[in-house]
Amino acid sequence: MVTALRWTAAGLLAASMFAGAIADSPPPHRELVLGGYHVLAADFHVHAFPLSWATLAPWDTVVEARRQGLDAIAIVGHNHVWVSRVGRWFSRLVGGPVVLTGEEIVSPRYHLLAIGIQDTIGWRQPVASAIAEVHRQGGVAIAAHPTARYWPAYDAKAMAELDGAEVLHPLVYASAELAGQLRQFYGRAPLTAIGDSDYHGLGPVGLCRTYVFAKEVSEAGILDAVRHARTVVYDGGRAYGDARLIQLAGALRRSVPPVPFLGWFSRIGGVLGLGIAAIAGFKSQ
Amino acid sequence: MWVTLCPAAAYRSRARQPAAIGIWRALRRPLFVAFVLGCTMSLITSAGLTPRLAGSATVYWSFVPLAEMVGLAAACGRGGRTLAFPRAIDLFFAGHGPWLFWLIGLSAIWSFTPPIRAFALTNAIWLYGAGGFALLWSAYVDFCFFRFALARSMARAGRDLVLHRLISWTIILAIFGGPAIPPAVAARLGW
Repeated sequence: MVTALRWTAAGLLAASMFAGAIADSPPPHRELVLGGYHVLAADFHVHAFPLSWATLAPWDTVVEARRQGLDAIAIVGHNHVWVSRVGRWFSRLVGGPVVLTGEEIVSPRYHLLAIGIQDTIGWRQPVASAIAEVHRQGGVAIAAHPTARYWPAYDAKAMAELDGAEVLHPLVYASAELAGQLRQFYGRAPLTAIGDSDYHGLGPVGLCRTYVFAKEVSEAGILDAVRHARTVVYDGGRAYGDARLIQLAGALRRSVPPVPFLGWFSRIGGVLGLGIAAIAGFKSQ
Repeated sequence: MWVTLCPAAAYRSRARQPAAIGIWRALRRPLFVAFVLGCTMSLITSAGLTPRLAGSATVYWSFVPLAEMVGLAAACGRGGRTLAFPRAIDLFFAGHGPWLFWLIGLSAIWSFTPPIRAFALTNAIWLYGAGGFALLWSAYVDFCFFRFALARSMARAGRDLVLHRLISWTIILAIFGGPAIPPAVAARLGW
């Protein structure tokens, strides 16, 4: 009985991996130019293993980002930048998406994305001085999931210096109240609209994304676009960002492609195979 | 399933069985735990089992069973061993059912539910509800391991469990999310 279960589990897992390998191809990459700008799908809030509560190493994250059709990602470590450097090195090596180095400055009072920086910025300082440090390093500062609990940290000085804010984040799918708070914060000042997945390994990277209108496909080009608010973010029927670009990008709304048969087979076989393997493993004691 | 469902009886019985096992036998359950972790990482992010993600993640997620073995060595080593360490590893990892089934459940949520729905399910039900249950259940299973497989007193088994958790979870949490822990603690304390 145990032997039969083990063989069933092994067969299911092998078949599932085979199906998964075949279904595991990135979509064809197409360059899109609108109004003289390169339109890039970007996710500026991507965490990688280790040290950031994330499940995938930077090399797997980079490949996964390409598979999800992203042109650019910012790998942001919690209070450190070295993992993002590894991701950028790997992506350059394999010709992957543009990887911006960065950090999510996790402080008790605020979470701030520091994109395009080289050195770690300390979290024991007011948000305004953290933003100033981001700018000194040539980066852009984006308020990460600025729900009401973080609002007191953003005083007038910080709001005047802040480059962008996440107006779309997976939080919006969990709570209408939090979704409203993100929109309210975004409305407080003329900020660049950002949609990020806050990717920790759960769900697809780029589930929430930002369409960046860059003059060139490079880290500098993307940072320049964020600095000058050339982004568009779609949230179901809503669109955020520069009105002219929203009009220009009308056709960009992303539809989720259907899961192919092999994809379903890989999922079902994988979960069943693991379950049977776990039971068989215990039965054999 | 026996260790998972009836840990006291299972460990009493296992402790009486022949103790000499080889290194492969000692490592196969920790390797299986790493494999399930690797497969979970693939299923929850790409909604499929790909050798690319499962293989790679199995390698770096093996830090979890490694950290647990470090904690186990410390707990077993205190006050003399009643079991050979390879045998202790095998028996200890036989009690990982609660966490394995929790991981497989997490994989199922992300494999069969659209991401937008899965976020809501994961946070409210799986991370806090089922996760809390797995946490307590696994603590009871591991307590039974120290109490019956290692033949410790109740108080000593409790102390060994705490020591194991303190060492292994500190390593795991430090590697998994270390730098965000001090600010999170500061936020909780209202600093």
